[in-house]
Amino acid sequence: MKPFKFEQATTAVQASQTHVDAAPNARFIAGGTDILGEIKEGILEVNILVSLAGLSGASEIISSDVGLEIGALVTLTRIASDQSIVETYPALAQAAESVATPQIRNVGTLGGNLCQRPRCWYYRSPLFDCLKKGGVTCFASDEGNKYHAILGAENCHIVHPSDVAVALLALDATVVVSNASSDRQMPIGDFFVSPDVNMLAENVLEPGEFVSKVKIPKPSSGTRSVYLKAKERQAYDFALSSVAVSLEVRDETITQAHVALGGVAPVPYSVPQVDSELTGQKIREVDVQAIGQLAVKDAQPLSDNSYKVRLTASMVARAVSRLISE
Amino acid sequence: MAQLPISYSASITLNVNGTDHQIEVDHRWTLLRVLRDVLGLTGAKRGCDRGECGACTVLVDGDPVCSCSMLALQVGGRQVRTVEGLGDANSLNVLQEAFLAEDGGQCGFCTPGFIMSATALLESNTDPTEDEIKAALVGNICRCNAYGRIIESVKAAAKSEAS
Amino acid sequence: MTTFKTIGKSEPRRDLPEKLTGEAKYTADVQLPGMLFGKILRSPHPHARILSINVDAARNLPGVRAVVTPFDAPKGQVAPDMPILDTEARYVGDEVAAVAADDEDLAEAALSLIEVKYEQLPFVTDAVEAIKPDAPQTRPGGNLVGGKPLTLIRGSVEEGFAQADRIFEETYSTPAHAGAALEPRAAVASWDGDNLTVWKSTRGVHADQLALSLALDVPRGNIRVMGQNMGAGYGTKDETRLGAITAVLAQRAGRPVKIELTRQEEFVAGRHRHGTTTTVRMGVKNDGTVTAVHATTIMDTGAYLSSGPGVIRRAGQGALYLYRCANVQYDGYLTYTNTPSGGSYRALGAPQGHFALESLADTISEALGIDSLEFRLKNHVGLEGQPGERVTPANEVLDTQPVEGGVPFSSNGLRECLQIGSEAIDWGQPSEQPESGNLRRGKGMGMFIYRGGAGGRSIARMRLESDGSLRLLTGLMDVGEGSLTVMPQIAAEELGVGYDQVLVTFGDSETTPEAPLTAGSTATFSTGTATKEAARQLKARIIEVVAPLLDTEPSNLQITDDGVEHIQYPERSVSFAQIAESAGEIEVEAAISPGSRDHVINSFGAHFAEVEVDTDTGQVRVLRYIAAHDSGRILNPKLAINQVEGGVSQMLGFTLSEQMLTDPRNGVTLNASFLEHKSPTLQDFPKMQVLFADVVDPVGPFGAKALGEPPSIGVAPAVANAIYNAIGVRIRDLPLTPDRVLNEIEAQRGDSQ
Repeated sequence: MKPFKFEQATTAVQASQTHVDAAPNARFIAGGTDILGEIKEGILEVNILVSLAGLSGASEIISSDVGLEIGALVTLTRIASDQSIVETYPALAQAAESVATPQIRNVGTLGGNLCQRPRCWYYRSPLFDCLKKGGVTCFASDEGNKYHAILGAENCHIVHPSDVAVALLALDATVVVSNASSDRQMPIGDFFVSPDVNMLAENVLEPGEFVSKVKIPKPSSGTRSVYLKAKERQAYDFALSSVAVSLEVRDETITQAHVALGGVAPVPYSVPQVDSELTGQKIREVDVQAIGQLAVKDAQPLSDNSYKVRLTASMVARAVSRLISE
Repeated sequence: MAQLPISYSASITLNVNGTDHQIEVDHRWTLLRVLRDVLGLTGAKRGCDRGECGACTVLVDGDPVCSCSMLALQVGGRQVRTVEGLGDANSLNVLQEAFLAEDGGQCGFCTPGFIMSATALLESNTDPTEDEIKAALVGNICRCNAYGRIIESVKAAAKSEAS
Repeated sequence: MTTFKTIGKSEPRRDLPEKLTGEAKYTADVQLPGMLFGKILRSPHPHARILSINVDAARNLPGVRAVVTPFDAPKGQVAPDMPILDTEARYVGDEVAAVAADDEDLAEAALSLIEVKYEQLPFVTDAVEAIKPDAPQTRPGGNLVGGKPLTLIRGSVEEGFAQADRIFEETYSTPAHAGAALEPRAAVASWDGDNLTVWKSTRGVHADQLALSLALDVPRGNIRVMGQNMGAGYGTKDETRLGAITAVLAQRAGRPVKIELTRQEEFVAGRHRHGTTTTVRMGVKNDGTVTAVHATTIMDTGAYLSSGPGVIRRAGQGALYLYRCANVQYDGYLTYTNTPSGGSYRALGAPQGHFALESLADTISEALGIDSLEFRLKNHVGLEGQPGERVTPANEVLDTQPVEGGVPFSSNGLRECLQIGSEAIDWGQPSEQPESGNLRRGKGMGMFIYRGGAGGRSIARMRLESDGSLRLLTGLMDVGEGSLTVMPQIAAEELGVGYDQVLVTFGDSETTPEAPLTAGSTATFSTGTATKEAARQLKARIIEVVAPLLDTEPSNLQITDDGVEHIQYPERSVSFAQIAESAGEIEVEAAISPGSRDHVINSFGAHFAEVEVDTDTGQVRVLRYIAAHDSGRILNPKLAINQVEGGVSQMLGFTLSEQMLTDPRNGVTLNASFLEHKSPTLQDFPKMQVLFADVVDPVGPFGAKALGEPPSIGVAPAVANAIYNAIGVRIRDLPLTPDRVLNEIEAQRGDSQ
């Protein structure tokens, strides 16, 4: 690795200020599992890594009447096994559990997982000067794109790699972003940005800003959720396609629905046409196959990834089916 | 004359297998590099340096981590345990004996990593099911694919500990 | 019924304790005083002439101690088509230059200061394209190695096809996939005057010694290769430039140098299984009798030849010899491309060839209305071998990959494998289908043949040492397959002592005798035969020496765990230590060229898989797997089971998920990582049963034959055939990834509408 300075911040102010002062050559590090990989790969040059690990107040899971607050430093292992999450937000626990391996989950944090960079093999290789690294070409447009996007992609065809983000989207989470002086928060759907909004980043963080916590509203009784992930091997794989569904069911009727897709778009992807279609339906009458087809109706597959259209439709159908038979 | 790139170093105290070590580290050095090149503990292996194979697995505060994917500077003040802390070839522990009896390895390169992951598993779960064993060890790749024997070894170790 | 002291026992793996504690040293663990770290600069272009290299800035970086470029490297050859460094780069990743510095980070920094002027040349990344006449040329002599295919013939396929009632032909493809041994290759070199010592990941210390001697133009006697524990290779750690480059840097620096490849480098600049396209044409009678087999394979050797000739040869052996047939032909086209180099990888070309052959066998049997097991039972080659006339002179040892007919096998348990395997999987019962409509189950099988282990000349030395220890010395390297355990079992059994009493020294070119590569599943047979002979000689010598000491005839004496005793009067005895004290050290050496003049020594097997296909997601799960093997007498059951399970699980990767992907636009390997190469994890390991046929080979040591590689061969056909049985979709291209399965389901559904 090229040399960098590692600085342990003790306060948000210190962390933020150091980051701003060294911008654009500073990065925050929490667990570090993704960022160290990028540095080793030679696609990221950093002068200073500002560690958030010492920040107080960012490592807690706090349950209240309004919902759950999860500090950005909480590890994926904790999220996967925390009782309140497993019981109340199963999609989130399942998504966290599906990430990588126990070793990665023991160190990887919520914030880090949301902010991880794409896995696109052109992005990750220094031998391709791709759009996302400031180049002029997307090498996935015409070929070599079996893992790439089928939805919401125009010039750059990455898929967002975070499982947790997809579950949080379906759970209507809010992301809290902090800097030296203040916090701001936004629905998680607004935290992520697609390449045509900002080619060089996947989220709205400005220099000096970091994710400090995520808030999830308390679901009403009758709400159930699930996260399904299709992979190429049985374990330790990013999603070929993944689905998070949250349904509120009252009197055998779906009163609220939120479906989110992963592995198929540059951002965790909502499909509001599906949510509207499901809302108001009696669970006995739901045609899950039709719902699945509806989820992918706007799909624009590339040369090698049309299988994702059928795969995603099946995954949506399966996820909805599982929830309505609960 | 070409310039040496500026690098940063720090003094840290690393607790490994119960002993404190005062060492100078370059900020870039991973925990794996420090264990192997500074402390001479070569049990943890560099299989990929990317956290994708688990050959470098050690325990930090009892949890298995890929030491290649942590900076030494991230580990100060925490307890690191490596395979060297478990025993030597003349006195294998129960887990190691079980691996020997069940032939839980072939080339052995993945073995220290598996031993550490399995140690953490059995310390928190004394009677794991086969599914729990698989879930706990899935982050360790064995390219010889001795997976069948490895699972049997961990089962045997759990049984031995129980009796 | 023979009872053995140690043969047939699951003796614990000799080198496992030190591996369990982390004490076992691998090459990267070697630390020497003053040791430097080397790094290699690699070509970013698939094909380019190197016009100039400016290393001034690199050389002047403080801490850089040595540099080597193709313009100043010694002119030796590492392989016939590979100089130590070359002014032509032939694939993305090809070695261009190297540096040695005080530490790894400095070496890396130095690389970035090297300026190379390249002239890019036309390149080709696809083998089928490469053999076309207008393809860009990777080599002056053309892309097709040898300018023509390897053609092997028995009888006449024209005649054979004329006899057929029906002829079937299909084309199949298999990808390149990496061995991806967990230990990336590494080398340490240190000079002492004119003497070079090298520590490296190797499966043949003597072969490496010879290769380095030729490359560096240094007398063989000045080179010592110390094999360390090896983090496996499965064959893929064939020689590369690594050892020579490390040695040159060490010489220039005047200090030891270590180079450890990164994982990415091991993927790209290591060796992998060759990708192939195979067309099989088979003629059959309506009753299922095979009348002709003609297989054609196009195989991609990548940028360098490595062991390509051996691999292309082996890809044809199934077609030539698995089905009893007088009229067969194999044409193997081996071609260069500008991609990473293929090399030896467990069973070489046999998995590729058998995938095609055994898939077609199923297609044929279905078309004829014959059960595919019955088709194989009817046609598999038997103990008597192939019809035809022996060609090899009577006094010459028979090839273990013969083409000729008229040569019987030493043993052939293939039929038993078919029987016990099919029984274990309840072949006659179709799979029970789960309730949910999208999951479909099916069963499939594949049988195979493989050379039985008679390899190159092998030497074993045995010694009664001065302290009474019994020691076996072998140049052999244990690469994880267990030779270190099985060889002392053989020696102990032959001597008549307990397994623990035989100590082993292995893998040092200076102190251990010449051994061939631990390769081609030959260790057990070849070194095992030499070991058995050495033990026999030592036993005879010991008894000969003791006879006068105990004042009796040799025929009255026997060896025990403690020494030698009189058979009738056991109190008249002497310990090994006492023998050594009075007679001194006793050493014997046995040099064997294993093989048989009368019989072909081959191993056989049949694999059976039951799979479940999710037709909505394309995912394939192996529900259970039966591996039935004829490898003669099994010397160490637990080790053998581990070997078979490991081979099967490894090749489930080949079948279901692994492939090395090269971008055709620029020759870059896209997925040179464990994550992206999709190698099997613990969760991918299926329920498996290993069965061994009850066969004792008359030629092999204690009746054993090769087992290391055969397990790799049956997996792809068993699983592909099972998938067909489950969903009625025939997929002819590996790997059977979800996208491929989904696409084929859709395509074949479209066809049937």
